[in-house]
Amino acid sequence: MKKKIDNAAEENAPISKKRRFFNHVKRFLSNPANIILIVFLVILVFMIFYPLFTLILSTFQVSSITETLFGVKYGDLTGLWWYRMFASDMSSTYFWMPLLNSILMSLLASVIAILYGGVVAFFITRTNMKGKKFISAIFVFPYIMPSWTLATFWQNFWQNPSIGTGTGGMLYNITGLSVPASWVYGLVPCAIVLGLHYAPFAYILIGGILRNMDANLEEAATILKASRAKIIYRITLPIVLPALVSTFLLVFASSMSSYAVPKYIGGDMTVLTTYMKNFLNNGYYGQGYIMALVMIVLGVAILAANQYITGKRKSFTTVSGKSGQVSYINLHKANYVVATILTILSLFCAVLPLITFALESCCVIPGDYSTLTLEYWISREQVGTGNGLVGILFEKQVWQAFGNSILLAFLCAIIAGSSGVLIGYAVARKRATRMARSVDSLAFLPYLMPSMALGAAFLTMAFTFGLAKSFIVLVLVGSLKYLPFASRSGINAMLQLSGEIEEAAIIVGVPWWKRMVRVIFPIQKSTFISGYLLPFTSCMRELSLFVLLSAGSTTLLATLLDNWSQWWPQSANALNLLIIVTVLVINFAVNKLTGASIDKGVGG
Amino acid sequence: MRKLLSVLLAGAFIVSAAGALSACNRTEASGIEKKVEAAATMTEDELIAEAAKETGKFVAYGNSSRIVDAMEGFVAKYGTQLNLSSSNAAASKQTDTEIFTLIDTESKASSNTQNASMVLIQDSASLDLYRTSTDLFYNYVPASLGSNISESDKVPLAQQYINKLFMWNNQGSDVPEFSNVWELTEDTYKDKIFFKSPKSEQVNMNFLIMLTGEEWSGKLEDAYLALNNTAADDVGSGKKYENYGYKWISEFIANCNFSINSDTTMAQNLSKPENAGRMGLFVLSKLRDDSVLTENLQVAAWNEGSDNNYVKIEPFAGFMYALYAQLASHGPRPYTAMLFINYLMTAEGFAPWASLGGYSSNSSIPVTEGDSELSFWRDNLVFEDGKYIISVKTKVEDYINGLLK
Repeated sequence: MKKKIDNAAEENAPISKKRRFFNHVKRFLSNPANIILIVFLVILVFMIFYPLFTLILSTFQVSSITETLFGVKYGDLTGLWWYRMFASDMSSTYFWMPLLNSILMSLLASVIAILYGGVVAFFITRTNMKGKKFISAIFVFPYIMPSWTLATFWQNFWQNPSIGTGTGGMLYNITGLSVPASWVYGLVPCAIVLGLHYAPFAYILIGGILRNMDANLEEAATILKASRAKIIYRITLPIVLPALVSTFLLVFASSMSSYAVPKYIGGDMTVLTTYMKNFLNNGYYGQGYIMALVMIVLGVAILAANQYITGKRKSFTTVSGKSGQVSYINLHKANYVVATILTILSLFCAVLPLITFALESCCVIPGDYSTLTLEYWISREQVGTGNGLVGILFEKQVWQAFGNSILLAFLCAIIAGSSGVLIGYAVARKRATRMARSVDSLAFLPYLMPSMALGAAFLTMAFTFGLAKSFIVLVLVGSLKYLPFASRSGINAMLQLSGEIEEAAIIVGVPWWKRMVRVIFPIQKSTFISGYLLPFTSCMRELSLFVLLSAGSTTLLATLLDNWSQWWPQSANALNLLIIVTVLVINFAVNKLTGASIDKGVGG
Repeated sequence: MRKLLSVLLAGAFIVSAAGALSACNRTEASGIEKKVEAAATMTEDELIAEAAKETGKFVAYGNSSRIVDAMEGFVAKYGTQLNLSSSNAAASKQTDTEIFTLIDTESKASSNTQNASMVLIQDSASLDLYRTSTDLFYNYVPASLGSNISESDKVPLAQQYINKLFMWNNQGSDVPEFSNVWELTEDTYKDKIFFKSPKSEQVNMNFLIMLTGEEWSGKLEDAYLALNNTAADDVGSGKKYENYGYKWISEFIANCNFSINSDTTMAQNLSKPENAGRMGLFVLSKLRDDSVLTENLQVAAWNEGSDNNYVKIEPFAGFMYALYAQLASHGPRPYTAMLFINYLMTAEGFAPWASLGGYSSNSSIPVTEGDSELSFWRDNLVFEDGKYIISVKTKVEDYINGLLK
């Protein structure tokens, strides 16, 4: 009896604060979603803010021997780099001009991407144009291919004897037509090439909205006898406006961080990325890091603007549920004309580059098709250029770089993809919490950090740990850069999944890992897989992110091409084609295996 | 949340400090000075015996892709004695900046077994700076060279020289006479001179910097007077140009065409018939490429045989720079590296570079038939002087970058 009373007293006694805290922590940690959020919060804060911290610090430090030439001591703190970039006589040359060029190039590229991509999206989704499937499939090619592909093709196609290299390109050789230098080298061609490269991006975003748009609005306007132009101006455009602005900002940010395009066809024009690479290559780290920092600040500002604008999109509902019907505009006689023009344009950007690379990789004398040979591909002896290389299919450097690229892409895909699944799970399960929102935002942040600037930030971190030019740094930066793709698809997949499914498994006592592997992953596997595959294909063609970090035994296919293009054009063309074909084959295999494709959902 | 972030950032800073401290644990420089001293009196067999005792990977970096072939030749010759094969001996092509970065990073590694033991560097100025400011590199001169190497090539050891020469397409009737570099500053050459941008090609920048020195600006002044018979009124203290070097650089760059960022492509394109009358300044070795129509090109100061039958270009026909061989002080195999340098200084080791436009600093190794001796080029070209370049590098680079914007 006494024991019973004692037990009751014990139960009613107030729980100590310590015990209560312990219980709280125990309960908190018993939920796998909380553990995942804590782990990723720590990792992401470290992986994003630590390189940023070292980057900022390095802009105030003498961090290379070469910098001591300015009369400062190695390791000392200094404001000299900031002074040189913003207040010295050289600030116009080193900072303001490249910044202005970068901004103008990106603005123009964004306009071109939206106009071209938007118009194609409109014809594919809103008209009865012929050949939609074919056009849609090849229109997205330039986005799948590396960005420098179009740049080198642009030069090969438009070049003529009175400008640049002084030799004839494809157009001149066939027709004798010449274009001015400003059409081949400089700001305008860079913007056009970037615009063409990112047009599929605009096509996917705008096309998605147009396809899902409620047809009743347009039909109502038609009944009220509004003209077609008025319908587009007053109804269609306002509905797609948030997508247009979002596309504009994202293309702008991507173009700002473009390195390969201005490098190949920029001519005398300098932009932030090319100057940053020059600074870092010459050992002037402080000034290069300031450029990286400026690019990151711009990127984050664009992210904020994008979030603000897309946040308002709630009022622009495109899917009402009232009507799934889409009213196609009848193009009448213009149908075949439009289809033909779009097909030619798409083939020009997607197929012709491949043909020119194939031809140029087989020419002993560039542009002279009477000197065709396969030695740059299959020779086991040193090729006639006297460059010490054998045919690329037997060249050791190529296979080493190929192995590195595949391994890197695989590891980045595994790390980013798995992190995406886990982040998706945890964020969806703890959606309302501040920690979930923080992890969600942090996981998306690397998307808006320009690739080369992120590479520079990791370079400073690698120096701190004595890991410069090591493979592990490539894996870390690659995984972080592509995490946004994976986390987005992970979060989307998990938000679509009702919590009841997992709860049923919990009731019957299924442990967490088994729930993930046996229940959640199989249900949403196609979305999760895309979170693995996007990092893989992106990694295979990436140059800007890795160009500062890879060297020697960590050389990748893209960085090897960057090197070869300075010395051995035929072998470089062959390597370029090899990279493109590899990326396309992987993309094709993924489409066949998973049914996913980047133009899916737009139409065709 | 703010507290949590503060804690996490503090943690990051601690990690940073720990990382920095661990990175400061430089590997020992393996007593390189004493080893080089000892090697100076060793026979080749003794050096091989010492090298055979070494462990770790034998790695070499070079700003020339041919170092890979040289390493293969070295392993084929000494591999059995040194227990080296392609699995533990490797060479790779890197840019100079990459080499400096890698060597600096490797010196901080806790174990040096994977470090490079030897490098071939192109940029004399940066090498000079690193040699005087750090212990990363150490010089070694093979005793076997004796008097076959010039004193000026010993420290740092110049393994070979490479020249970039003015070359022009001599086809058609509109080919200008060329005998004075000031002719290249005239309007007729506007956008007709192919030259890799000094912003991306350090040796080109070094060449231009050399022209601002007393010696070459003086020679440029003489050449200017020889061509114009009167002094320029915009050169001198307080005037537009500090000296004739700056004037030439400014006017030369204004006529340059920087569309091509590869010396190979430059040679290929310049040699095409449609480029008649155009000029280029690029490496002579590109003429060995099958894709270059050499019959369409005239090389400046090209000396047919040894009878001094050539047109002298006033005051220079191009420039010359070296590839310097250095021991990496923190490498695991200093004796093997010394043996490798010995090998590179022989005709056999130089074979991968032994073609047009490649000149060993070992005077007993002959140049390619038809080419001129190193001594001839010394009289006709601007040679890099790392010490001078370093003394004015930041100032002149700013000036040139200002012209290139």
